[in-house]
Amino acid sequence: MMIRLFLAVALLLAPGAAFATDSVALSSMVFVEKTIANADGKAKITLHEPKVVTPGDRLIFILNYQNRGLAAANNFVVTNPLPSAVAYQGTADASAEVSIDGGKIWGILAALKVADGPSRWRSARPEDVTHVRWTMKQSIPAGAQGKLSFRGIVR
Amino acid sequence: MEQGTHWSIVNVRLSRVVPLIIASATIGFSSPALAVGTAAGTTISNTATASYTDPGGNPVSVPSNNVDIVVDELLDVTVATADAGDIVVTPGSTNQVLSFNVTNTGNGSEAFRLTPTSTVGGDQFDPTTTSIVLDTNGNGVYDAGVDTVYTPGANDPVLAPDASIRVFVLSSIPAATNDNDRGIVELTAAATTGTGAPGTTFSGQGQGGGNAVVGATGADGTDRGRYIVQNATIAFTKTASVVDPFGGTTSVPGSIITYTLIASISGSGTLTNAAIGDPIPVGTTYQIGSITLEGSALTDATDGDTGSFASNTISVGLGSVTGGQTRTVTFRARIN
Repeated sequence: MMIRLFLAVALLLAPGAAFATDSVALSSMVFVEKTIANADGKAKITLHEPKVVTPGDRLIFILNYQNRGLAAANNFVVTNPLPSAVAYQGTADASAEVSIDGGKIWGILAALKVADGPSRWRSARPEDVTHVRWTMKQSIPAGAQGKLSFRGIVR
Repeated sequence: MEQGTHWSIVNVRLSRVVPLIIASATIGFSSPALAVGTAAGTTISNTATASYTDPGGNPVSVPSNNVDIVVDELLDVTVATADAGDIVVTPGSTNQVLSFNVTNTGNGSEAFRLTPTSTVGGDQFDPTTTSIVLDTNGNGVYDAGVDTVYTPGANDPVLAPDASIRVFVLSSIPAATNDNDRGIVELTAAATTGTGAPGTTFSGQGQGGGNAVVGATGADGTDRGRYIVQNATIAFTKTASVVDPFGGTTSVPGSIITYTLIASISGSGTLTNAAIGDPIPVGTTYQIGSITLEGSALTDATDGDTGSFASNTISVGLGSVTGGQTRTVTFRARIN
């Protein structure tokens, strides 16, 4: 009985302990991609940090992480829920997994199926994605940093 | 995205970006189904979370900063004719109805100004547009006196995103038109906030307080409706053949004259309630029961069939006859 009580107290204290070692910084940036025709007729793509967008605008989400602490961060996972007004458009990072059901089931997009009427299934499409996440196989050493990105389009 | 495009970064606070190489150039954009788009004024809010375990084995969860972006109002509209084909009219007719659908393909509620134009090329006459009517009862059909007459600036239709309205353009057809002449009327709908090249921005005029931005349609749309004149004309030829009492063909008292009237209807239209009437010539006597239409006998009485004899005149109703057909009527008279 005493042991169980002790465990419960330890669990209650855990969030406070986590806060004390909160040494990883994660920053989120969103860019909008605009294609501008140059004088020579070639398309030029520019990126802006927008305040406003319109439907159909192409967005690039960039996440920068940095371990500012003195110890390695293990089992490092970055999760980005898609804003509902944004349709996922993929990521170059092969390690990324997506979810189409609010974060319950994860996998690569091609492996996920969406119910399409009674007892029918179709392959998931990019716009079905609700979450994207990256699970790092290796620990993030102290001082290390990295960048993740994915694309979306304003619905 | 085209091959060979190159990237540049502007307006980026570079201090926040550590290794700024966008490693996603190999990703193409697929084309998601954008029905109408996110409603104007919506805030897109993005926050990511990093989770890990610290050296003590404790789970840690760190949220990122939050990025908020507001969705501006996109001004877009399409106009499409709702007629299956050319509207058939006759010369001089009035209140001939063309139907159009005006659809708000933008993402905000917007009023649209409607303008008809009949002086367009590629046709043979200019219809005179007499009124534009909004299908206010929504049944898709012009109802005179029920649907609301449109007055520019007074009742410009306000459409929610993805909503459409049926618009009727009523025109008069000039009397001096010929069979198969075509007349075109264009209907244009333009966002009252403004139109222009895609990307033109009307600051602060968007729904929800943001900007209004002209979309791919230029914030206006046009389509054409077409009238076609279908007219029919009738021409008669009359011939007579004589049989005398002796088996010859001389015109003597007692000879029987068989008159043949051929009505030729020409044109692409239909002649309705066409009729043939012919008085019996002076000096002859109509032969009772001798009227035929297309070889079939008709009675002299004004009754169920279309032939009759009255006031010394035969008449035969032909009903509706389309262009390209003929009707042959015969009757006989005896020379007194």
